[in-house]
Amino acid sequence: MRPMRAPRQHHETGAQSPALDVLAVGAGVAAVAAVTVICRYWLDVSNAATVSAAFLLVVLVVAATARLWAAVATSIAAVVTFNFFFLPPVGTLTIADPQNWVALLAFLAVSLIASQLSAAARTRATEAAARRDELARLFDLSRDILVMTDDGDARTTLARSVARRFHLSVVAMGLPASDEWTVFHGGTERVDIETREWTTTFAAAQATLEFDAHERTYAGHRIVTAGGHTFRLVPLRVGTRPIGVLATTGRTVEPGTLDTLAGLVAIAIERAELLEERKAAEVTRQSEALKTALLASLGHDLRTPLTAIRVAADNLQSSSLPQIDREDQAALIVVEVARLTRLFDNILEMARIDAGGVAAEARWTHPSEIVEAARAQVEPMLRGHTVTVTNTHDVPVLLDPRLTATALARVLENTAQYAPAHTPIDIQTAVTHEGLTVRVRDSGHGIAATDLPRLFDRFYRGAAAATRPAGTGMGLSIVRGLLDVVGGRVWAENAEGGGARFTIVIPAAVKDAVDDAGEV
Amino acid sequence: MASARILLVDDETAIQRAVGPLLRSHGYDVEITSTGESALTAFAAHEPDLMVLDLGLPDIGGVEVCRRIRAKSRVPIIVLSARSGEADKVNALDIGADDYVTKPFGPEELLARIRVALRRVATSAEAEGGVLAAGDLTVDYDRRRVLRDGAEIRLTPKEFELVSLLAHNHDRVLTHRVILKAIWGGNAVEQPEHLWTLVAAVRRKIERDPANPRYLLSEPWVGYRLSTTPPDSAD
Repeated sequence: MRPMRAPRQHHETGAQSPALDVLAVGAGVAAVAAVTVICRYWLDVSNAATVSAAFLLVVLVVAATARLWAAVATSIAAVVTFNFFFLPPVGTLTIADPQNWVALLAFLAVSLIASQLSAAARTRATEAAARRDELARLFDLSRDILVMTDDGDARTTLARSVARRFHLSVVAMGLPASDEWTVFHGGTERVDIETREWTTTFAAAQATLEFDAHERTYAGHRIVTAGGHTFRLVPLRVGTRPIGVLATTGRTVEPGTLDTLAGLVAIAIERAELLEERKAAEVTRQSEALKTALLASLGHDLRTPLTAIRVAADNLQSSSLPQIDREDQAALIVVEVARLTRLFDNILEMARIDAGGVAAEARWTHPSEIVEAARAQVEPMLRGHTVTVTNTHDVPVLLDPRLTATALARVLENTAQYAPAHTPIDIQTAVTHEGLTVRVRDSGHGIAATDLPRLFDRFYRGAAAATRPAGTGMGLSIVRGLLDVVGGRVWAENAEGGGARFTIVIPAAVKDAVDDAGEV
Repeated sequence: MASARILLVDDETAIQRAVGPLLRSHGYDVEITSTGESALTAFAAHEPDLMVLDLGLPDIGGVEVCRRIRAKSRVPIIVLSARSGEADKVNALDIGADDYVTKPFGPEELLARIRVALRRVATSAEAEGGVLAAGDLTVDYDRRRVLRDGAEIRLTPKEFELVSLLAHNHDRVLTHRVILKAIWGGNAVEQPEHLWTLVAAVRRKIERDPANPRYLLSEPWVGYRLSTTPPDSAD
C-alpha cells in the first residue's frame, strides 16, 4: 500500500507515475501466480468460488493502490489464470461446462466494477487531498499577509510569498499605474510579460464579470506564453472590482484555487496601500506637529524681544528718562536684536538643512582655526565663561571648515546657555585616523537622564524647559542636521566628575597620518 | 493716581528691563519679580494697587498665581500673554483677571489698560450699588433702568441683566463663559449663540451706531467689556 502522505507533499505526487502502475501490475500478476500455486499445488483447492474470491482480493488490492488500467490488466491476468488452471478442462483455455462460463464472466464483471469503484474513490480522495493542500497553502499565504508590515516593498514580498507558498517558479503581479504597468516579481525566475497582455486581461476583467460554474471561477483567466513559459493570467479582484493581474507558472494550480488566491492577493495589496496611506498620514501629522511646535516656539521667542525692543525704543524717546536708564535701554535693544538675529539664523539654517541646501565644501584646515571661528560666532554668549582650548596634533584636516565651525558654535552656544555663569568651558580637539574629534565639556549640572535620548530632537528643550534659560530647541538639532551632511556624529554624555560633555566626530583626511596615541 | 504701586511679574529680563523704566517714567511705583512664588510673597508683603502678570512663569504658572491672588484680593490684574497662550489667557480671565495685553504690545497699549483698571477701582468704590454713568449712558441698578441722554431705553429683563453685569464690571473683560454662567447658569456655557443674540439686541438699543459700538465692546474670541471711556481718547 502506498503510505499516507501529508497534505503538503501530496500535490507533487498526486498524479501517480506510470512506473508505479507497472510495478502494481507486476505485483498483481505475481500475486495471481502465488495464489495459483498455493491453491493448486499446495492446498489443492479446486472449488471455483474459493479461488475466484482469492483472485478478486488480489485485483481489489491492485485497484486500491494503482490506476484503473493496472487493475484491469490484473483482472485479465486473473481471468486467464482462473480459466487455465481451475476451470475444467484444466490446462486449456477452453471451458466445457456452461456453468463455468457464468462463473468466469461474473468474476470478470465483479473485478472490473470493483476496480472502477476503487479508482473513483481514490480519485476523489486525491482531489480532496489536493484541495486540502491548496487550502493549507492559501492559509499559509494569508498568514504571511497578516504579518506583512508597512516597511519595505510589501508588494514584492507578497509576490515572493505567493511563489514560495504555492511552489511556483514564476509569479508576476501587474498593477496598473496611470498608463504604465508596475510589475512585482516573485519566484526563482524573472520573466517579463508584454504590457499588451496585462492590459487585455485587465480590460476584459473590467468589462465583464461572469461566473464559470464548471471551473468554480470568475471568467477572465487567460493563458499566454512568454519567455518559454505558459502563464495563466488571473485578474486580481477586490470583491468584483479588478485592481490588477496575477500571472503564475511552474506548477498547475486549480483555476478555482487561483481565483481564490487572486482574491487574497488583491486584499493584501489593498491592505498594503492602506498601511502606506496611514504611514503617509502619520508623516504628515508629524510634520504638522513640527510646524505647530515651530510656530509656538517662534510665537514666544519672537514676541518677547519684539516687545522689549518696542518698549525700550519708546522709553528712549521719552524726555523724562535719566541718562543711566537711557544707556540701559539702548543696550537692551542691542541685545534683543542680537537675540532675534540668532533666532532667524537658526530658522534659516534649519530650513536649509530641511531643503537639502547644505553642501559640504572640503578644504585643508587646522582644527584650531575651526575652534577660533566657532568661538567668534558665539563670542557674546561665551563672555560669562572661562574658555580653555587644547588642540592635540593641530595638523591640517580635509573637511568643510565653515560647516564644522557652525556646528561647534551651536554646541558652544548651548553649553554657554545651560552651564551656570562664570563656570569653565573646556574645548579639546584631536586628530586621529577617523578624522577630527572635538569635545566640549562644561562644569554645569550635567544632562538629566530623561533628556539624553531626545537632546538632539528638534524643538526639544528638556523636561524642565520652563525653568531653563530661554532657548528654541533648534540649536542641537541643527548640529545634528549639519553633521549628517558630512557623515559626522555628535553625542552628549555626563562626564565623570560632573558636567556635560558633547563630542563631535567628523570623518576627514589627515595631512600626515597620526596614530591612535593622538587621541585625547 | 500718581504713585500707584504696580507689581510686575515676568521671568524675561528683557521685559523687566524695558517695562520697568516705562512704568516708572509714567509715575508708577514698580516692584519686579520673576517667579510665581516670589510674586505671591511680594503681594503678601505689601499689597500693590495693580498687578501686571506674565502667564508663562517658570514655576507655578500665571493662571495659578491669578487664582491664588483672587482668592484673597480684588486687586486689578492685567495678564501678559503670547498668542500661543490663548487658552491660558481665557482661563486667567475666567478666574478673575481684569484685562489682558498680548505680546508684542506697545507701551501705550499697556499704559492705557493700567489707567483704565486703576480708574475702575477708584470709581467702583464710590458707585457701589448706585448708578453708573458712562458718557451719555446711565445705568440705574436700583430702578433697573438704562437711560441715554436722560431718555429711558426699554430693555427686556435678560438684556438688563447683561448690561448690569457688564456695568458692575465696567472696563473689565468678562469672558463668554463668565457671562453665560451669570445670566443663563452653568449649563449654558457651551452655547455662546445665546450671548451673540443678546449682545446684538442690546447694541441695537443702547448704541447710537450698533455697527460701531462705543460702549458694549467685543474682545474677539475672549469676551465683552463695557467701556466707560470714549474709544478715540483712551487718554
